[in-house]
Amino acid sequence: MLPTITVDDQKCTDPLSCRKCLLVCPTRVLGVGTKVGPQKFKEIDPSQFIVAGVRFERCTVCLDCVNVCPKNAIQVSL
Amino acid sequence: MCVWCERYADGYERWYFNPANYARKLYKVRKEEAEALGAEANPQAAGGMALLTRDFLEAVDRKDYEVVAKMRQQVEEIAWATHFGQVVPLDDVLRVVDIIYPIALITCACRRSMLGLPNEENFTCIGMGPGMYKWERWPDTYRGGVHFLTPDEAKEIITKMNKRGLVQVLFTFGTPYIAGICNCDYPDCSAIRTTLDHGIQFLWKGHHVAVIDNELCNGCASCIHRCQFKALSFSPTQNKAYIDLFQCFGCGLCISECPQDAITLVERAKFPALANVW
Ligand code: SF4
Ligand code: SF4
Ligand code: SF4
Ligand code: SF4
Ligand code: SF4
Repeated sequence: MLPTITVDDQKCTDPLSCRKCLLVCPTRVLGVGTKVGPQKFKEIDPSQFIVAGVRFERCTVCLDCVNVCPKNAIQVSL
Repeated sequence: MCVWCERYADGYERWYFNPANYARKLYKVRKEEAEALGAEANPQAAGGMALLTRDFLEAVDRKDYEVVAKMRQQVEEIAWATHFGQVVPLDDVLRVVDIIYPIALITCACRRSMLGLPNEENFTCIGMGPGMYKWERWPDTYRGGVHFLTPDEAKEIITKMNKRGLVQVLFTFGTPYIAGICNCDYPDCSAIRTTLDHGIQFLWKGHHVAVIDNELCNGCASCIHRCQFKALSFSPTQNKAYIDLFQCFGCGLCISECPQDAITLVERAKFPALANVW
């Protein structure tokens, strides 16, 4: 079984400035990307960046990311 | 000889010494081929994480090896046609720097994605060739800007990164067009992770393997921390370093830290059973 990881991007509005969850995760399960994908001739607005689970197979469900998130945006369950 | 040398070396010692694989006119041609294959010729879109989905991880998790093999093959096909890397020892990279211009320091997409590393701490990637003049096309890919380097500056910076413990990898952007010197480490490089964690060959091993001379090795362990590929370990029984030659990517990083000069890079082709281990 792989854990389910959800990040509410209504609550996590500027992950590049915060990035607490990315730094706390011992196995780099999470990643930051954009909602819109790369765009020609245009820098993407910071609000379009999102955090998501990527390397689920390395998640130990330690909940460190859940606990560190100041916005209460992350849920992890198995 | 790896398949890339077979196809693209064209008389040169290795495919990445062939200037044609950096040539300006090829860039457009290869880019169109890559686009025809369905991948945007934008480096981030072609990057490993975009291709590796939860479906794959679930198939691995339920041990559905048939599906895993199929997906692995699909991902490798796209990567090899558009964007994959080969590990290269420092000496070879320094020669490459003299083949291609311009050369520019840019921010690393993997570390931005893994750690959200701010631009000013994230200049570990090197871009090469005419694509660097077009960086404004993808401002997000090159967040933080593009710093053009003279060949000597590039050599100095790459050598420093090698000293820091980062592995040098040449990347194609529309194979065989080589346009990146990446400086990578585990666990923050998604190319190394995809290769080691999932057995998907985003990174090809280099043309050498590192061999330890057991007579010279005194067990000081100075080399052990240098390996990013899980090839190097320490044997308490023998009190010596140990290299798994089938796992060694030939980056050479362990060698430069050995005070005994006990490790040497030997051509993969010298070992019949390693000659085709890529
Ligand atoms: S639960 Fe732990 S291992 Fe899983 S993503 Fe969060 S910090 Fe990482
Ligand atoms: S810790 Fe919470 S708010 Fe901060 S980047 Fe992660 S998900 Fe967003
Ligand atoms: S391959 Fe290496 S240098 Fe290139 S973007 Fe990834 S970690 Fe950065
Ligand atoms: S054993 Fe040495 S040369 Fe081989 S991959 Fe590890 S550090 Fe690189
Ligand atoms: S650094 Fe050299 S001498 Fe020390 S353990 Fe490694 S191979 Fe042996």
